[in-house]
Amino acid sequence: MSFATKRLGKELSKINNNSLPPGIELVSADDFEEWYLDIKVLDNNPLYQNQVYRLKFKFSAQYPIEPPEVVFVKLANRPIPIHPHIYSNGIICLDLLGQAGWSPVQNVESICMSLQSMLTGNNKNERPAGDEEFVRGNRLRPKDIDFYYHDNNV
Amino acid sequence: MTNAIQLKEEGNRRFQAGDYARAEALYSQALVADQTNPALYTNRAMARLKLNHWDDVIADCDQCLRISPDNMKAHYYLSQAHLALHAYDDAVTNAEKAHALCVNAGDKSLAAITGQVLKCKKERWDDQERRRIRETSDLENEVIEMLERERDQALHDLDNDDFDAVTRKEVEEEWEQKINRMRGVFESATANESKRRKVPDWAIDDISFCVMVDPVITKTGKSYERASIEEHLRRQPTDPLTREPLYVSELRPNLGLKQACQEFLEENGWAADW
Repeated sequence: MSFATKRLGKELSKINNNSLPPGIELVSADDFEEWYLDIKVLDNNPLYQNQVYRLKFKFSAQYPIEPPEVVFVKLANRPIPIHPHIYSNGIICLDLLGQAGWSPVQNVESICMSLQSMLTGNNKNERPAGDEEFVRGNRLRPKDIDFYYHDNNV
Repeated sequence: MTNAIQLKEEGNRRFQAGDYARAEALYSQALVADQTNPALYTNRAMARLKLNHWDDVIADCDQCLRISPDNMKAHYYLSQAHLALHAYDDAVTNAEKAHALCVNAGDKSLAAITGQVLKCKKERWDDQERRRIRETSDLENEVIEMLERERDQALHDLDNDDFDAVTRKEVEEEWEQKINRMRGVFESATANESKRRKVPDWAIDDISFCVMVDPVITKTGKSYERASIEEHLRRQPTDPLTREPLYVSELRPNLGLKQACQEFLEENGWAADW
C-alpha cells in the first residue's frame, strides 16, 4: 500500500467518525485518487450567499509529501465562485496548493477550511487579471502553473 | 569472482523481470563461486521472499548475518519471513533492528521499514487478541456447563425428595436466572473491550497519520515520525508548520515520546493500523 493510500484511508475514517466542520461536506471518496467535496460560505457575504461549490481533489501516490491538485468544478447547480484568485475554469491560485507553499501537515479538511475562509474574506466581485486569455490558453496541470502570488491579502 | 558478479547481475535482471525462480537459481550459482559476499545472500533471500520460501529466507539471512552482523536488509527480510511464519516476536525484533540500522545509514527504505515495524506489532497484537478471545469463550462455556450440572443435580435431588411442582419450577427459574447472569457478565466484559477506540493525538504523526515508531522533534517543539519528516525534508528543507529552514541534521530523537508510543502500542496493538 502506498503512503498516500494509507494516509487517505485514515483521513477518510476520521471524516466518517468525527464529521467535517460546518459548511464542508464529503460528496464522494470512492478511491484514493479522486475525492469530491462541497463547500459553502457561512456568513452573509453577498457574493456567495445561498451557493454551494464543488471541489475536486486529485491525489498522487506521493501525497501528502506532494500537494493534491484542487479545483472547483462546474455543474448545473454548482457554479465557480467569483474571486480574484479563482479562474473561471475552476483553477485556484492559492500558495498553500503550490509546490512551494504546501506542507504535509495540511489535509483535505484544512484545505477546505482555507478555501472557505478565502471566500469569506473576499469582497471583490472579479476574476483574476487575464482570466479569459488564461482559460482559453492554459493546458498545464494546476500545480505546474507558476502563479505569481502578487497579492496575498485578497 | 568475476563469474559470481556476472551471475549476480544476471540474477538481478531476472528479478526485475519478475522471474524469481530463475533469479534464485542464478544467485545460488553465484554463491557456489563466492560465499563471502553478503549481498548474494540478501539478494537470494529477496527472491525467496517472493517465492514464499520462508525457511530458506531465514537460512540465507542467518548466513548473511554471520558474515555481516549489521546487515539491514538481512534483518528486514528476516522480519518479513518470521511474520509470514507467525513468529511474531522474532518479526518485531528484526524489524526494529533493521529500523535502527536504517536510521544510522540514512537509507531511503526508512518509510518501508517503519511500516514493517508497525505491521509486525499489529499482527502480534491481533494474534494475542484472538487467543485471548478464544480462551475467554472456552472459559465461559466451561463455567456455564458447571452451572448447568449443578442445576440438574439440584433438580434431581428435588425430584427424589418429592417436592411439589411449584417449588420445582421456582428452583429451576432461579438457576436459569443465575446462568443468564453469568452469560451477561461475560458478554459485557467482551463488549467493553471492543467499544470504539481512539488513538490519542500525541501518539500520531501529522504527516503519515500513523502511531509514531521513531519520533523526532523539530525546533518548534513539534514531533514527527522520522521517516515522514525526512521524506518531506528531502523534497523541501522547511519546517512543515513555520516554513522556516529545517535540515535533517537538526532533528533530535524524542525519547520520552518514543517510550510513550511504544507503551501505548503494547496495550493497544490495534492502533498500529487504526
